[in-house]
Amino acid sequence: MKILIIEDELEIAQSIKNYFKTNGIQCETAENYNLALNKIESYDYDCILLDLMLPDGDGFDILRELKRKNKTEGVIVVSAKETLETRLEGFNLGADDYLTKPFHLSELLVRMQALIRRKNFKGNNNIIFNEITIDIFSKSVTVNNIKLDLTKKELDLLLFLIGNEKKVLSKAAIAEHLSGDMADMLDNHDFIYAHIKNLKKKLHQAGSEDYIKTVYGLGYKWENE
Amino acid sequence: MKMKLLTKTTNSFLAYAIIILLIAAPLFYFICQQLYIYETDEVLHFHKGAFIQESHRNFTQNDIDLWNKYNHEVMIIPDMGVRKDSIVGKMIYDSIAREKEPFRVLYAPVDINGKRYTYTERINLLEMEGMVFSIAGMFLFIIIILLIGIILISKITAVKIWKPFYDTLNQIHDFEIDKNKAPHFIPTDIDEFDRLNKSLEKLIEKNTAIYQNQREFVENAAHELQTPLALFQTKIDTLAQLDLNKDQSEVVASLNTDVSRLNRLNKNLLLLSKIENESFLEKSTIVVNDYIKKHLDFFSEQADAKNLTINTEFTSTLTINGNPALTEVLINNLFLNAIRHNEKNGKIIITTLDNELLFSNTGQDTPLQIEKLFNRFSKTNSASQGNGLGLAIIKKITELNNWKISYTFYNNLHSFSVKF
Repeated sequence: MKILIIEDELEIAQSIKNYFKTNGIQCETAENYNLALNKIESYDYDCILLDLMLPDGDGFDILRELKRKNKTEGVIVVSAKETLETRLEGFNLGADDYLTKPFHLSELLVRMQALIRRKNFKGNNNIIFNEITIDIFSKSVTVNNIKLDLTKKELDLLLFLIGNEKKVLSKAAIAEHLSGDMADMLDNHDFIYAHIKNLKKKLHQAGSEDYIKTVYGLGYKWENE
Repeated sequence: MKMKLLTKTTNSFLAYAIIILLIAAPLFYFICQQLYIYETDEVLHFHKGAFIQESHRNFTQNDIDLWNKYNHEVMIIPDMGVRKDSIVGKMIYDSIAREKEPFRVLYAPVDINGKRYTYTERINLLEMEGMVFSIAGMFLFIIIILLIGIILISKITAVKIWKPFYDTLNQIHDFEIDKNKAPHFIPTDIDEFDRLNKSLEKLIEKNTAIYQNQREFVENAAHELQTPLALFQTKIDTLAQLDLNKDQSEVVASLNTDVSRLNRLNKNLLLLSKIENESFLEKSTIVVNDYIKKHLDFFSEQADAKNLTINTEFTSTLTINGNPALTEVLINNLFLNAIRHNEKNGKIIITTLDNELLFSNTGQDTPLQIEKLFNRFSKTNSASQGNGLGLAIIKKITELNNWKISYTFYNNLHSFSVKF
């Protein structure tokens, strides 16, 4: 899988690159408008991460350019601008998702995975991890073909964990992922503990192995030992 | 007592007019009288001169008797010892009017046929009284008309002259620096008012610019902070992936908390400045009860850590008109405040009335300090996780919508009420 990161802050681009590398995602970077246009012209990507404020141009123009060239890459706008108007304009111009800076790398990763899944949808939309199968379309989870009764949050959590396989996820990142728009107000992330506990219990009862590891002080990690 | 400028000038004008009238009326009467007497005396002198000129000196005793017989006003009588002309005022009985009347009487020595006589002539002053009165009356009448005219005209012109001043006064009274509406003064040809307007315009312009600057500064600063915050966040995420020992994990975990806090603070500052910039203008109808019901799960989840009991008392369906995004922020902040400042095993009561929303919660057992409660960065409890912007945001939202927020402490419950 290959993605393009259009971001003038090189260090952010580098962090994303490093984080994604271990999940088998190859990242190319473009730190300005012209370079980005060149790369889009020459290569095809599975996904593009787009910063709106570039030193030599407007990120929206890249969206327009993609549309003009009938390019089908999924685009996630990653921007410090977070007004409703810029969001709507982004979506109007063909962006698929919008993430406000600052963000958690884990969040970006699952959003990207979801986007690519939507784009590559070919009738079958299952995520399979050993004995666990998740049907994204019908939102059902089975362990060794036994159906699990998960709440919406638990399903969300499971997807988040599996998507960030082998990554340490901070409580803040999980809490923010689970609370969506309300995340900005939270000052206490302890509530995720209950969700983790319930998910672990349900997976265990269905005969799944315990993939959810607690990382001392920091958070949790999905790992197949 | 405070008096209107126009009333004050008119009042002093009137007082001056009345004083002048009071002094002028008797003075004028006196002067008129003196003038009339003077004129009468002139006539007396003139008559005497004519009498002497017209060769009455050739009168015989018979002629004099005859003259005296037909003349009552002018008489030649035997010498009274008068040496030179003298005029005296006298009250003389008038047989026709049957009362004493004022007269001017001239006594003058005349020589007729070498013999000295005294010439007397009298003129009745009764006519004068009437004349003086009518002159004085007319004069007063004119003065009064004149005064009324002057006062009326000055009042009308004063109203016209002061109009730009009152206009300016009203405009600055209505001026609010945080509303983007600069006053527009009516141009005036009066130098002082023009200067006043120009000075005010300059003052307002300068202050608005300063205010604007400060507002933009907060927004820009918050915006600019987002990139380094993003860097900070991604690096901590990267750091967390390393194989850390226990101590290192703890540091990274606390860094995570810090960056979350920083992020929240920044978002709240952005929100505040956006509210001030009136970015949230469109309104729609919101059913408060429904919103609370919909998100009750989310908040209950947050409240579980403190094992709080949440009771909803929806006595009526509260439907309000406001900006949806801001109304949600308002309710969320109130709700989270009630959770954040609560005690373990405490409770929260949410009440909706006809046009009022009430959040009551247990917590510290003394009332909060009301004066500083809604100020930015005022924290009642420095140990709390809040950033001191929650209530400031609540206050701003209520101000923007002309709602009323109030705090009470009763029965060991802290209550925040919003009246819509």
